[in-house]
Parts: sequence; C-alpha cells; structure tokens
Amino acid sequence: MRTTLERDAASRAIGELRLPAEASKLGEARAYAYGAAAQLGLDADSCYEFAFAVNEAVTNAIRHGAPDEHGHIHLSVCCDGDRLTLAIRDYGTFVGSRQQAAASVERGRGFALMSHMVDAVQLCVESESTTVLLSVART
Amino acid sequence: MTFFFIGGDAPARVVEQGDDIVVLVAGGELDYAASPQIREQLAEQINAGVRCLVLDLSTVTFIDSTAIGALAGAAMRLHQLKGGSLAVVCGEENERVLRIFEIAGVTNVITLHRSREEALSALAGVR
Repeated sequence: MRTTLERDAASRAIGELRLPAEASKLGEARAYAYGAAAQLGLDADSCYEFAFAVNEAVTNAIRHGAPDEHGHIHLSVCCDGDRLTLAIRDYGTFVGSRQQAAASVERGRGFALMSHMVDAVQLCVESESTTVLLSVART
Repeated sequence: MTFFFIGGDAPARVVEQGDDIVVLVAGGELDYAASPQIREQLAEQINAGVRCLVLDLSTVTFIDSTAIGALAGAAMRLHQLKGGSLAVVCGEENERVLRIFEIAGVTNVITLHRSREEALSALAGVR
C-alpha cells in the first residue's frame, strides 16, 4: 500500500526543519524523516520505520515539551557515512512528566515503539532544552 | 449494525441499524492529530450502550502509539463491562500496521482479525 510518506519522499530535502508544535504538522515531520532515510538509500520498510520513530519523538515533544519563542520545535538531520541521525529538539525540560505519563493503559508505549524502530535512541536533557537523537544505519 | 467512518475523505455512512454491533471504519493516517477523534467515537458508542464494537483499519496506512492507546483504553473499558468486546480488523496485506500492534504488545487487550466477517463472527460468538 503506497502511503503519503512514500508519495512525498522524493520532494523532501535533508537539512533542518522548524516545525510548528501542532499535531496537524506530524505528517510533515514523517515526510521529512522518510525523505532523509530515502536519501540515505534505505529501503521502503526501513524508511517507514524511521519515520514512525520520528513521529513518536515529535509527538512527545508536542505533548510534553515546549516550543521555541516562535512556536516551533526543531528537527535536524546529520549523515555520517552510512549512519543517519535525526535530532528532535524542544525547549522543555520535562523528563519527570514524561515518566509520570507512563502509568496508564492508554499511554507509555511511545518510547518502546520508537526504540524498536531505530538502531539507537539518545536523550539529551539540557537546562533549557530536550533533544532526542534517533539513529539508523544503512546495512 | 451501524457503520461509521473515521478520518480520510469519505463521509460517515450508516449502512444498517437494528442490532447491538457497531462497525467503525477508519482510514488514512491515525496519529496524535486523529487519535482524539477515535477516542471520542469509541467512547460515544460505549456511552450509548453499545458493547460489541468492530473497528476496521483495513485502509489505515499509519498508526501511532496515541491511536493504539485510544484503542487499548476502549478495549479495557469494554472488557470491564459485562459482555463487551472490541474487535479490530487489519488484513494480512497491511503488514506495517499489524507489526505496530505486535510491537506495542497490545494483542492481549485488542483482538485482531483478518477480515470484517471474521470479526463479526467472533463477536456473534461472544454475545
């Protein structure tokens, strides 16, 4: 089944994306991630999984984080040889609230799902921002 | 049986009414933007007294943890009500969505069926 992600992949450039912290913009984040993975040469299933992981991280940032002064969260892509890393940065410092959100039948699956879909997940908490780094390698 | 459509471009459609099974059909990408609508639609049916729900995800191309959470919440609520059940339809061809369900570890709460007919048969056996 051909998805919106696949249809949009060819038109997305690798670089930086300042995304309004709104649920309606999640499709744009997925397309951006899918395009970055496609440019690295990953197959369609791997691109989909990478986009899935990025969607979860951006959703977390929208739900529990804070945008910059312009209402944006920041996505940036770094390619190091065969490894692609996409960073999702917001301006909240909310690790505690994320952990508290896990105790419900409706919540708490996002991080596990995200981790399953990529090779590495790193969480970088600074005094004024939180960054999730998602990495995948071309095999 | 009552049919509703969630998401996508198609309007809600009522195919048949008369018994206590409701079929909801969702399409497109079910993410954090869509999951509140799913949660509300399921809650509306349960609050109205419906205890047997089928949610057909055959044309869904993406589902995230918030949408799965909404389904798990509704399924748990139905389990706690006598005779209640949520049957989710996701065909074999929809491998990506099926895989998300499996990784999410919710198949003990949400019963997956390969076709709408299979789901309806299973619910008929429950009632």
